[in-house]
Amino acid sequence: MDFREAHHLPSRGAPRPRDLPRQRAGTTPQMHGRYPDWDVLSQQGHWDEVTRHVVLARLDPPPIRFFAEAEAATLTVLCDLLLAQDEEPRVPVLRFVDEKLFEGRRDGYRYDDLPEDDELWRRVARGLDEEAQRLGRASFAEVDEEQGPYLCHRFSQGELDAPTFQTLNPQRAFQIVMRDVCEAFYSHPWVWNEMGFGGPAYPRGYAAFGAPHLGEREHWERPEAFELDPVRDTEARELD
Amino acid sequence: MIRLEENDSPFLLDPHKRGLQNLDRMARYPRTAPVDLLVVGAGAGGVTLAQRLARKGWKVVILEKGPFWDPDRDWVSDEKGAHGLYWTDQRVIGGNEPIKMGKNNSGVGVGGSMTHFAGYAPRLHPSDFEVRTRDGVAVDWPISYGELRESFERLERELPVAGQFWPWGEPHSYPHSAHPVAGAAAKAWQGAVDCGIEMRVGPVSITNGSFGNRPHCIYRGFCLQGCKVNAKASPLITHLPDGIEHGVEVRANCMAARIEVDDETGRATGVTYFEDGEERFQPADAVAVCGYAIESPRLLLESTSARFPNGLGNNADQVGRYVMVQGATQIAARFPELMRMYKAPPPEVSSEQFYETDESRGFARGFSIQTVAPLPIDWAEHVVAEGHWGEALREYTRDYNHWTVLGAICELLPQAENRVTLADETDGYGLPVAKFTHSLCENDKANIACATRVMEDIWSHAGAQDTLKIDRYAHLVGGCRMGFSPDESVVDSLHRVWDCRNVYVCDGSVFPTQGAANPALTIMALADRLAKLLDDKRG
Repeated sequence: MDFREAHHLPSRGAPRPRDLPRQRAGTTPQMHGRYPDWDVLSQQGHWDEVTRHVVLARLDPPPIRFFAEAEAATLTVLCDLLLAQDEEPRVPVLRFVDEKLFEGRRDGYRYDDLPEDDELWRRVARGLDEEAQRLGRASFAEVDEEQGPYLCHRFSQGELDAPTFQTLNPQRAFQIVMRDVCEAFYSHPWVWNEMGFGGPAYPRGYAAFGAPHLGEREHWERPEAFELDPVRDTEARELD
Repeated sequence: MIRLEENDSPFLLDPHKRGLQNLDRMARYPRTAPVDLLVVGAGAGGVTLAQRLARKGWKVVILEKGPFWDPDRDWVSDEKGAHGLYWTDQRVIGGNEPIKMGKNNSGVGVGGSMTHFAGYAPRLHPSDFEVRTRDGVAVDWPISYGELRESFERLERELPVAGQFWPWGEPHSYPHSAHPVAGAAAKAWQGAVDCGIEMRVGPVSITNGSFGNRPHCIYRGFCLQGCKVNAKASPLITHLPDGIEHGVEVRANCMAARIEVDDETGRATGVTYFEDGEERFQPADAVAVCGYAIESPRLLLESTSARFPNGLGNNADQVGRYVMVQGATQIAARFPELMRMYKAPPPEVSSEQFYETDESRGFARGFSIQTVAPLPIDWAEHVVAEGHWGEALREYTRDYNHWTVLGAICELLPQAENRVTLADETDGYGLPVAKFTHSLCENDKANIACATRVMEDIWSHAGAQDTLKIDRYAHLVGGCRMGFSPDESVVDSLHRVWDCRNVYVCDGSVFPTQGAANPALTIMALADRLAKLLDDKRG
C-alpha cells in the first residue's frame, strides 16, 4: 500500500486495517500502524519529568470505580466499537472515562438538553441495553457482529429512541461520548505510535520542520511504512 | 533588545526557571483597610491594568479564581495533561448554536486564557471601531482606532510580537522578525498564492530573538497547552513580574462571589470572595471586573442590592447581552508528503485580505484566515465532526501526519439575545452558574459559508487529495459592552459602569463588536489605555 496516494482513505473506499504493517517497535492498538519502527516511549529520556510522569501513568490506569459492573460491560463494548478495537492489545478506554468521572473532572459546559456528564454516561448505558433488548439480546454487551455496528451507526445519527434515549438529545449525547472516548484514546502513547505523532517535545523541541517534501526529519523519527524499500529493509535488518 | 519604557518583566524572570522569581517580595495588603483597586481576574485585562496602575502608585490586589502557575512544575508537554489550564466549573450552554466552553475559550489561573491561546496577536482594523457608520450594522465603538494606536504599539513591544510587515488595517511593522515557516503552513501559503490571496507570516506573540531573560521559541508546537519555554506571551510573564515589583498582590485560588455596594452612596465598597472555603471581604476604593465575557457578566448579575436588584449596573437590562464568538470553521487538507503539522507553533501564517465588507459577497464585515495545527485529540475531533467513528475514524487519524489545517476567524455580529444569564443550578461555591445562549443570524451564516469556500479554494489550488471540515467557534467577547449611553451599554468609554462609577470592567467583555482579529492584544491595549487615563497617585 502506498500511503502517498490517498486510496486508503475512507472517502475513497473501505479502509482495510489488515493490510497495514504489523508493529515491530513498541505497541500499537491491535499491533498495526503506519510507523512500524516508531515507539514514542523510546524517547521518554528526552521528556521533562512532569510530562513523563503524566504520560507514563496512562500505561496503567486505575480499575473501574465509577461505573457498575453491568454498565462497564456495556460501555466497554461501545468504546471498542467506536474505536474499532477488535482485538488485543486494546487501549482500556473506558477505564480512563471512568477515572475522569470518578474524580469529578469536567469539561466546563453542559448542553441545556443534556444531563451532567456522569448521569449522561449512565443513561447511555441504560439506553443501549434497552436498544439491544429490542434486538433480542440481554444487554448491549451481548450484541453480535452486525447488531453492534448497526446500533453505533444509529447512535451516531441521533436515531436511537429507546425510552432512556428519549430523556435527552441523543445526537448531542453521542458527541459527548465521542469527546470523552477520543480524549482517552488519542492521549495514549500506543496510539501516538500508530499515527507517528512525536509526543511530548519539551525541552528538546524540533529543528526539522521546514521541508517535509524533501524528506527532512529529526534524526530520531522513524519513516512511514511506504518509505521502506522491502528489499533493502530486510537486508538491513539481516532477515534474509 | 528593544527598550520597554515601563515594564521590566523580561528582566525579572530567570532564564533557567519559568516561574516568577520575585514572589517573596510580593506585597500583602491587610483586609482591614481599602486598597486603591481590587481587580477580579488575573488575565489579559486584569494583570495589564494592575501592572500599569501599580507603576502609578496605586495599591492593587488581584483576586484570581485559579492557581498561581509555575510552568516548570504545573504544565506539561501534553494535550490531555493541559486540562488544568481551562475553566471547567459548570456552565450551561444553549441556543441554536451552543458554544462549547472549557478548553475552547476559557482559562483559569494566573495568566488567564492567554496561557493557552495560540499566540496570534493581530490588531483590530480602524474600520472595526465604526461598523455602524461604515457598514450599517451593529454599533460604533465610543473610542477610535487612533485612541488605541499607541497602546497597540506598546503592547507589541512588550509581548513581543513577531511577524512580517503587516499590510492590512493600518499598515505597521512588528518588533521581532517573522518566525520560519514550517512545511505544513507553507502548503497553505502556496495554495493561497495560486488563487491570488496574499498571506503573511505572523503576527504571533512568541519571542524570535533576544528578549531579556525570555528564551527563544523551540518550535515544539504545544502553544495551546501552556508554553513551558516562556517564549509565548501571557500576562503571567509579560506584565506580572513588573507588577509585583511595583506592589501588586495576587491572591490566587480566590473566587469572587459579589461586589458589595453601599446603598446610601451607590458606590462599591469591595468584593466578597471565597478562599479556603471561607467567605472573606476585601474593601477597596474601586473595583475592576476582569473576568472575561462569561464571568464578568455573571459577577455583576450576582451582585444584587437594593439599588441594583437585577445585578450591578443592570438597571437597563444590558449586562450579559451581546456576547460574541467568532466563526472558526476549519478545513483540513491531505497531501502526499508528510506534513507533521504538530511541529512549530500552530499559528504561523495568516491573511486579512477578506477582513472588511465587500458588497459583492452579499454580507457585512468579513473574516481572517490563519493556519492552525491540531494535536491528536483535536485531530480526532475534526474526523468525528464529519460523522466518522470506528474504522473510518481510526484510518483518518492514522493518516494524521499527512494533514494540515486552515482556520477562519469570522466576525459575527452582536445580538441582544446572545447572552449570559444566571441558571437555576449552583456551583461548588453555592453561586448560580452562567448560562450562555447563542444563535447565528443570516449575516453570520453567509460570512462563515464564504470563509469556508475560500479555505476550500486554497486547498484545492495547493493540490489537496482530500479535505475534512469542522464547524466551530473561537474566542469570547462582549457581555458588558462599552457604549455611548446607559440604555445600550454597560460601561462608558472609560470602562466605568454607568450607574456605579467606581466599578470598572476591563477585559474582552467591553468589546461592542469583535472584528475578525484574535482579541488578546486588543484586551491588553484597552487596559493600557485605561491606565493612562486614570490618576497618578505618586507623591
